[in-house]
Amino acid sequence: MGKPWWHILIISAIAVFITLMVFLLFYPVPPPPAAEMKDAREAISRARKNKADIYSGELFSEAVNSYDSAMVNWRRENERFIYKRNYSKVIALAEISLRKALQASESSLNNTANLRVNLKQQLKNINDLMAEINKIFPTYPLTPEVRNKISLGKMLLRESETAFNDGQYFLAEKKISESKALLESSFEYANSHLRSYFKSYPQWKIWIDSTIAMSKENQDYSIIVDKFSHKFFVYLDGSKITEFTAELGKNWVGDKRRRGDKATPEGMYKITKKMENDSTTYYKALMLDYPNEEDTVKFRVEIENGTLSPKTTIGDKIEIHGNGGRGADWTEGCIALKDREMDSIFKYVREGTPVTIVGSMYSLKYVLNR
Amino acid sequence: MGLAVIAMVAVLSSCGKKPQVEIDATNAAIEAAKAAEANVYLPAEFAAVQDSMNAAMAAIEAKEGKLFKGMAAEKEQLAAVIALANQVAANVAAKKEEVMKEAETLLNDIKAVLAENSKLVPKLPKGKEGAAVIEQIKADLSNVDAAVAEAQGSYDNGAFMDALNKIKAAKEKADGLNAEIKEALTKARIKF
Repeated sequence: MGKPWWHILIISAIAVFITLMVFLLFYPVPPPPAAEMKDAREAISRARKNKADIYSGELFSEAVNSYDSAMVNWRRENERFIYKRNYSKVIALAEISLRKALQASESSLNNTANLRVNLKQQLKNINDLMAEINKIFPTYPLTPEVRNKISLGKMLLRESETAFNDGQYFLAEKKISESKALLESSFEYANSHLRSYFKSYPQWKIWIDSTIAMSKENQDYSIIVDKFSHKFFVYLDGSKITEFTAELGKNWVGDKRRRGDKATPEGMYKITKKMENDSTTYYKALMLDYPNEEDTVKFRVEIENGTLSPKTTIGDKIEIHGNGGRGADWTEGCIALKDREMDSIFKYVREGTPVTIVGSMYSLKYVLNR
Repeated sequence: MGLAVIAMVAVLSSCGKKPQVEIDATNAAIEAAKAAEANVYLPAEFAAVQDSMNAAMAAIEAKEGKLFKGMAAEKEQLAAVIALANQVAANVAAKKEEVMKEAETLLNDIKAVLAENSKLVPKLPKGKEGAAVIEQIKADLSNVDAAVAEAQGSYDNGAFMDALNKIKAAKEKADGLNAEIKEALTKARIKF
């Protein structure tokens, strides 16, 4: 009574199947690289929080790319038969991702700190430059182009400060650089203009010394007008007794060359007439002997040289007058004081009182450093 | 033998399939949040959504590597990401509204200041037109006008965050100019 052969075959197959099942169940399955991937992912997240995507872009991108490659490889391995999977490449990529993310994080923190210090210094430098511009050139007749550049530079400076305070350091850096370029070029232009103007300082110094000496010698009043500082000094017996703020012609930088140039002349003059009531529209006025002989010679030379058109005429009627105190240079070339200051001056001066008008009482070095 | 192996693989691999429908739905929710400009208006929250999605995908792959692949927990995780993405998208709308209102208020404020400045400038003392101070004020006013026009352009194009940043800087400048003009008028004893 032997069993049929196919019974044996079925039993054998079941036995083989069970053995195989037991073998496969206990055969070590390669563990998925979940921990390594988690570490990498969290490191990337931390790096992003540390703004590594902005301040350490290259390393951060490398970390993200390695993570993405690890995920692709992981998926690819998972598509293979379970016992044939090999996650070593996934783990290697995850480790690269982790390392790069950590480096990106650290580098971002360092870069941010360095950038913050650097930008803070740059902002201070530009603010110092702006203060210098405000100190030296507030009433200096700059060209509209330069004024516009200064205005844009100031605006960009404020924008860069806002970006810096918001922690947007790259934006702040960009705006600082734009602001710096505008303000530096404006300052350079104005400064070279100023240096050229101050080349006449030795001549001014001679006039100043001579005027003060005259006041001392004659034991009388003398007036010196410093155009750059907009100061009107009154001397008696060689000593300064009072000073006022003077307002000048719109184009006060440089000597007066012709009628209508709105420049305030430079030279040694004398009061020729005292005017008040109906004889002046500016409260009280002191007429000067402009043009003097030197001015006339200079004007003729310019006509002969062709630097002035033969049709131009030399100006006149340069006065010290009232209606000042407007806080700006507004005259056609005269010197304006406040009315109450004109009252004081009227008491001191007479026809013949010396009035010396200079670009500056002080050297450019002193002016820039004070 | 071959039959046995096939049967076994079928048993082992059919316990759970990759939840592709849920993955696609989650990606769609994230894309919707991005389309709503979550990355612009709520960058930290949007990054958190992306981190959650990455974690969910890693969890799915981890489960794929196991013999028994019940994906119930991962489906729940994806559902949570969808909820988070939807929440962020909803918050973006609120944040956008807030930024838009702030930009609008500042734009109106700055226009009022600019209008006042335009009225005050002609009151500055006669004869000052060529004066350096006035020239600087005029140059500044022209630059503020240009900045406001640029900000208005961004606002009109719906780039409210960009508009807000531009207006903030211009407003500061316009206020400064207003103070400067009023100071000049006060100095010249002119009422305004």
